[in-house]
Amino acid sequence: MVIQRIFAVVLLLVCIGLAMMAWPYQAPFSYEPVGPRAFPLLMLALMAISLLYMAIRPTPIVHSEEEPALDRPTLIKIGICTLLLLVFAGLFEPLGFVLSSILIGIPMARLYGGRWLPSVVIITFMSIALYVLFDKVMDVPLPLGLLDVLEN
Amino acid sequence: MDTLGYLGQGFGVALTPYNLITALSGTLIGTVVGLLPGLGPINGVALLIPIAFALGLPPESALILLAAVYLGCEYGGRISSILLNIPGEASTVMTALDGYPMARQGMAGVALSLSAWSSFIGAFIATCGMVMFAPLLAKWAIAFGPAEYFVLMVFAIVCLGGMAGDRPLKTFVAALIGLFLSSIGIDANSGVYRFTGDNIHLADGIQFVVLVLGLFSISEILLLLEKTHRGQEAVKATGRMMFNFKEASSVFWVNIRCGLMGFIMGVLPGAGATLASAVTYMSEKRIAGASGKFGQGDMRGLAAPETAIGATACGALVPMLTLGVPGSGTTAVMIGALSLYNITPGPLLFQQQPDIVWGLIASLFVANIMLVILNIPMIRIFTRILSVPNWALVPVIAIITGIGVYAVHATTFDLFLMVGIGIFGYILRKLDFPLSPILLGFILGGLMEQNLRRALSISNGGLEILWSSPITLGMWVVTAFMLVFPLIRIWRKRSRQRRALADV
Repeated sequence: MVIQRIFAVVLLLVCIGLAMMAWPYQAPFSYEPVGPRAFPLLMLALMAISLLYMAIRPTPIVHSEEEPALDRPTLIKIGICTLLLLVFAGLFEPLGFVLSSILIGIPMARLYGGRWLPSVVIITFMSIALYVLFDKVMDVPLPLGLLDVLEN
Repeated sequence: MDTLGYLGQGFGVALTPYNLITALSGTLIGTVVGLLPGLGPINGVALLIPIAFALGLPPESALILLAAVYLGCEYGGRISSILLNIPGEASTVMTALDGYPMARQGMAGVALSLSAWSSFIGAFIATCGMVMFAPLLAKWAIAFGPAEYFVLMVFAIVCLGGMAGDRPLKTFVAALIGLFLSSIGIDANSGVYRFTGDNIHLADGIQFVVLVLGLFSISEILLLLEKTHRGQEAVKATGRMMFNFKEASSVFWVNIRCGLMGFIMGVLPGAGATLASAVTYMSEKRIAGASGKFGQGDMRGLAAPETAIGATACGALVPMLTLGVPGSGTTAVMIGALSLYNITPGPLLFQQQPDIVWGLIASLFVANIMLVILNIPMIRIFTRILSVPNWALVPVIAIITGIGVYAVHATTFDLFLMVGIGIFGYILRKLDFPLSPILLGFILGGLMEQNLRRALSISNGGLEILWSSPITLGMWVVTAFMLVFPLIRIWRKRSRQRRALADV
């Protein structure tokens, strides 16, 4: 309940911030009665009203059985996983697809309970296979990065 | 009789070898994607959009591919719920209720093939309904002006909240988030940059594929971290694989009833497969009365939700094709795909590009038949896929998601945005917010704003245009009913609880 209240209030503040951002939006030349700021402002206002209600009277969250409550180890795992994904996004172009996916894929496999050797083998194989499948067979261009040298 | 002629033309499109192979690979990919934990029809269709585009498929083939994947995913979802008792998504919860007990009694093969058959009948009824009603609706929809469209979309959004069951407010907020997100980027009418924060990558708005994959794939990856328990052993599908004539005829009327109901609920925006499967299961249970063994492996209990799911999947395509208003998360994704091809679904699509519409409808027939045929010999391979452990699966899903996002614009900014949206989606999920309304809002937002502005331009700023025609008035009345409906339900529930307390 508390978390939900905090969430509603934070989102409410975001709404207000965005509304302030939207206030000066005005078309230099206008041929129509409704300008560019009306629609977003309307949406933000409706959202703000709903969030205010939610902050005052949060609805209880029904947990299903297979969903255990969050504990510290799980939260740490989620943090690591997010970090890995961000690293993936950052290194995608400089390192190239194959290397960056091997780099984040192996720790991720470990995170989900894989053993070292199978993780390394499967992720390395899949990274190369996916590169060949998408870049060569399906014409989706992927960056080679450091492996560019191999191409020539 | 026009319709039949067009349908014949559609079969001409769907039965070309190229499109047949497309449909076949779509159904196969879809079934596998539906089987895997953490991937549902929304991710499956969204992942294939950039790929279909990169492959240079012509629009009708791309649409056929996506529709086949959609049906295949719905199909694959049932395998894990029958054999593992783990419903892949909310709509197959009802399937597991009677499907898993049947599998435990050694009837796994029969349960699978019977559910495939039921779903086929449901889809068949819905496709017939679509052939009959879609052109009528399209003809009627031409009378829609911008004001009518705006009100229609308000209705769709409110419907979503009204049908969402116990959390209308959260659904409403989620839809509003989607509506707001759609306004990010350069404003087409005035050229004003909105909410971009001077970031050049946002000038074009948030890419649809980035939003979908972030919300659904990334948040699912994070969610899978919590599920520590090892995968259950799948029930072995041995013995008789095929249902016999007696079994099929015993559920025939169930199929017909649930197919019709599923179609109607599929056409309504926001209702969708989850609600349809629950409602049909409950009503069949009531019809069967004391003779039923619902929950212990009753065939009717398996057939009812499956027929309804099959019917809603096809029914949901009706508002998408005729009005351009998606009725479910997956059809919202398909509209996103069409807009990549510069095709705007709506009444004019039937006149301007009949090949696409009727080719799609015909290929739905074809894909459904393929699924029934595929299901029986392939079931052993599919069950083997179920035993792939998470540690091998999740990193690969993450990497493929990355490829899908990168394929759209080839910028790393989109990858970062995807992770950000994924974390936001994860938090929303933990707080019990439904995610598909965000998608629907995102798709409807742009249309809604354009139509509102157009309508008010016509009336020179007068708001009365929004309720001046009989169509708009009628829709406002229905919308008002939809708004009041959940309130009545909550009020009744509360008073019942109070009475129960008073009794004690």
